[in-house]
Amino acid sequence: MAYKGEGGHGQPPSATLSQVSPGSLYTRRTHTHYICMASDFFYPNMGGVESHIYQLPQCLIGRGDKVIIVIHAYGNRKGIHYLTNDLKVYYVPLKVMYNQSMAMTLFHSLPLLKYIFVQERVTIIHSHSSFSAMAHDVLFHAKTMGLQTVLTDHPLSGFAKVHSVLTNKLLTVSLCDTSRIICVSYTSKENTVLRAALITEIVSVIPNAVDPTDFTPDPFRRHDSITIVVSRLVYRKGTNLKYSDLNFIIGGEGPKRIILQEVPERYQLHDRVHLLGALEHKNVRNVLVQGHIFLNTSLTEAFCMVIMEAASCGLQVVSTRVGGIPEVNVVERTEKVYDQVSVESVLPMDKQLDRLISHSGPVTGYIFALLAVFNFLFLIFLRWMAPDSIIDTGIDATGPRGAWTHKCSHSKRGGENIKISKTR
Amino acid sequence: MEDERSFSDICGGRLALQRRYYSPSCREFCLSCPRLSLRSLTAVTCTVWLAAYGLFTLCENSMILSAAIFITLLGLLGYLHFVKIDQETLLIIDSLGIQMTSSYASGKESTTFIEMGKVKDIVINEAIYMQKVIYYLCILLKDPVEPHGISQVVPVFQSAKPRLDCLIEVYRSCQEILAHQKATSTSP
Repeated sequence: MAYKGEGGHGQPPSATLSQVSPGSLYTRRTHTHYICMASDFFYPNMGGVESHIYQLPQCLIGRGDKVIIVIHAYGNRKGIHYLTNDLKVYYVPLKVMYNQSMAMTLFHSLPLLKYIFVQERVTIIHSHSSFSAMAHDVLFHAKTMGLQTVLTDHPLSGFAKVHSVLTNKLLTVSLCDTSRIICVSYTSKENTVLRAALITEIVSVIPNAVDPTDFTPDPFRRHDSITIVVSRLVYRKGTNLKYSDLNFIIGGEGPKRIILQEVPERYQLHDRVHLLGALEHKNVRNVLVQGHIFLNTSLTEAFCMVIMEAASCGLQVVSTRVGGIPEVNVVERTEKVYDQVSVESVLPMDKQLDRLISHSGPVTGYIFALLAVFNFLFLIFLRWMAPDSIIDTGIDATGPRGAWTHKCSHSKRGGENIKISKTR
Repeated sequence: MEDERSFSDICGGRLALQRRYYSPSCREFCLSCPRLSLRSLTAVTCTVWLAAYGLFTLCENSMILSAAIFITLLGLLGYLHFVKIDQETLLIIDSLGIQMTSSYASGKESTTFIEMGKVKDIVINEAIYMQKVIYYLCILLKDPVEPHGISQVVPVFQSAKPRLDCLIEVYRSCQEILAHQKATSTSP
């Protein structure tokens, strides 16, 4: 089957899940990409988007690309941190608004981001989640600086409410000159194309994958007719308990937990219904293998990771009819998108402005064109103040030729220390 | 043995690094910052005096002009004595410790000494500083309570702020001495 917007050979349909273990291949690539992932959602927050942003660079590093991650600071967690396989994460200390998402304050992030992109020699910016203000900021600055841009869109959103209209308008403006957009399922692709009025040729579909080594069935602990529900207990996830003959184990935390707790009390079902409360991701597998059937009750879902996790553990899955189909080879397909993007040339400033004005409507188009011009002038000013020649090239720690695995005669001791930096 | 090389700092100014090798176990690095330039001094003085003249035309009080002259002079003296560092020196002696000296433009010198028993390692670290991402050399101090912990990070060459090429030179020399020190301290 060939997927639209992907190019190359089609993938054979397969029910097996792919191995996405990092560091397993150091294949020789002809073209190394220097990628920057940008979003608001990352460790120490946990979630689907966060684990995607973590897993994808791990696999890309394993294949020889250079990846850095730019996130806004979480509380005390500021500066430069290194994760597994020397993945560099910049927690930039820029002002944060409610619920870990930044207001679109555009200009004040340009100096630091420009410095980071020049130092790390970034060529492709990959933003995640259209609900993240940092992702849109970074896309905007990347286009001003002439870098290629890719956005991966994660959740679904409606059309009718006022805030939807505004966010969709912002999305249209932000995506009108983005080089490529990646969606996690066909449903999500339709949704995003409609929301942002996009050309479908630039939208690719690359669903998420799950690491099957983390989620294996347990052959010894199979009781009959135990149904597991693991989700956030909010309206959108649709968890309302009905009286029946099955045993239930319900994991997760949220506003609807109180309502759910009333049902076993009203019908005296304490021995048949167990509410486990908030579960850490590492304990999910142990909960899943206790059951026989997995029940997913989401009202809206772009791509349900936990369905794949349950299937990987050997449970039968019963689900509402939303969401996409699990597929394979996320990293290779993402790299194909990068290869396509890197051979294209970035639109020059005048064409960008033309496209903004024609695509986004009269009022918004002119406002954002004006902002783009100001941003460009600010960039010229910054380049005069701090020319690119005085910016050091970043030391590259990842891959087989990383700086810290190099056998320097006297620098071994320095390389083994944990490097935790603090902002000045 | 002494040699001198020129490098640049993170703002593009010129720095001079003087290295003195007294013995295999004792080395000194002397980093000279660019002197106070006449251009910046004139620019600041002109700005302050123009602002004072602007206030004078509003208030018609000549005390403002004399106050401006006074402030400029005091400000310059204070800057030279408390802020402007002309030279930073790092002296590393194998068995004894590490000494850092800062010489101000007015002639004042301030010295910090760290004994070798407290030094865990010297590393180049990276930090976000004032809309830039800079590399800086720092000394890691041992934690008395936890054997593998770090109690403090002491940055070196804080006002000179050299770039990575200069830091690597100093780093390599310091690592030679630290390796030498560890070899001699572990052997009976």
